[in-house]
Amino acid sequence: MSKDEKIIVHSSTKNLVLIRKFIEEQALKLGFDENVINQIILAVDEACTNIMKYSHSFNEENTIQICTKLIGDDFKIQIKYNGKSFDPNNIQNPDMDEYFKSFRVGGLGIPMMKKFMNRIEYDYKIPDENSLTLIKSIS
Amino acid sequence: MDEFKIIREEIDGVSILNLDGFLDAHTSVELEKAFEELKKESNFKVIVNFSRLTYISSAGLGVFMAFIEDMRSNKGDIKLSEMSEKIYNIFDMLGFPVLFEIYKDQDTALKKFNESEN
Repeated sequence: MSKDEKIIVHSSTKNLVLIRKFIEEQALKLGFDENVINQIILAVDEACTNIMKYSHSFNEENTIQICTKLIGDDFKIQIKYNGKSFDPNNIQNPDMDEYFKSFRVGGLGIPMMKKFMNRIEYDYKIPDENSLTLIKSIS
Repeated sequence: MDEFKIIREEIDGVSILNLDGFLDAHTSVELEKAFEELKKESNFKVIVNFSRLTYISSAGLGVFMAFIEDMRSNKGDIKLSEMSEKIYNIFDMLGFPVLFEIYKDQDTALKKFNESEN
């Protein structure tokens, strides 16, 4: 990947398909295998779905900016958004035995993000800019 | 472009939902509607055929979690069938086979429903 790539979309679940396509294109350029590409796509989908739902309450006037870059061996996907913040690192994975016993619904997006990516970084800038970076190592 | 569609059929008193396309936070609403309809009609025996599903995110998984208890408490079930390896891996990674019966082919799932009747 020779340069940073960027996409900005309105915060609507109908744009998830565009986001997935963008991530697939960038990951393909780096030569990740198909299985890993699918995992990265899913992690980004889950992150953006959470932002649309929890940070933007499905208000489509908001936007989400996704920027991809390669730094050393790290494929970094930075997602910038306004609104309510959430740091996935502060959220504990559910106990899956309990999860299925109690027929829980939801709450699987963040565990999937953590499982599929090597690292997740979260940052907040005043007055209203959240930055969530999902990182997958090439090696 | 058809993002997602559901083709429904009935075989031996079992409702089959054939999923086609991708199941994400946008399209999972359609699947929820399909399950709501089945409940309204008191059709609690359901097989989901994944053979033409290309993608699933947690929003899609959530729909099965939302309806499984209802279906089972009415002597029915949601049995899952014909998943590609890519789709099965997602279910498996999260431990869904603990709660859901997942079959390679639809006929086996159908037989399981028939067996449980006898």
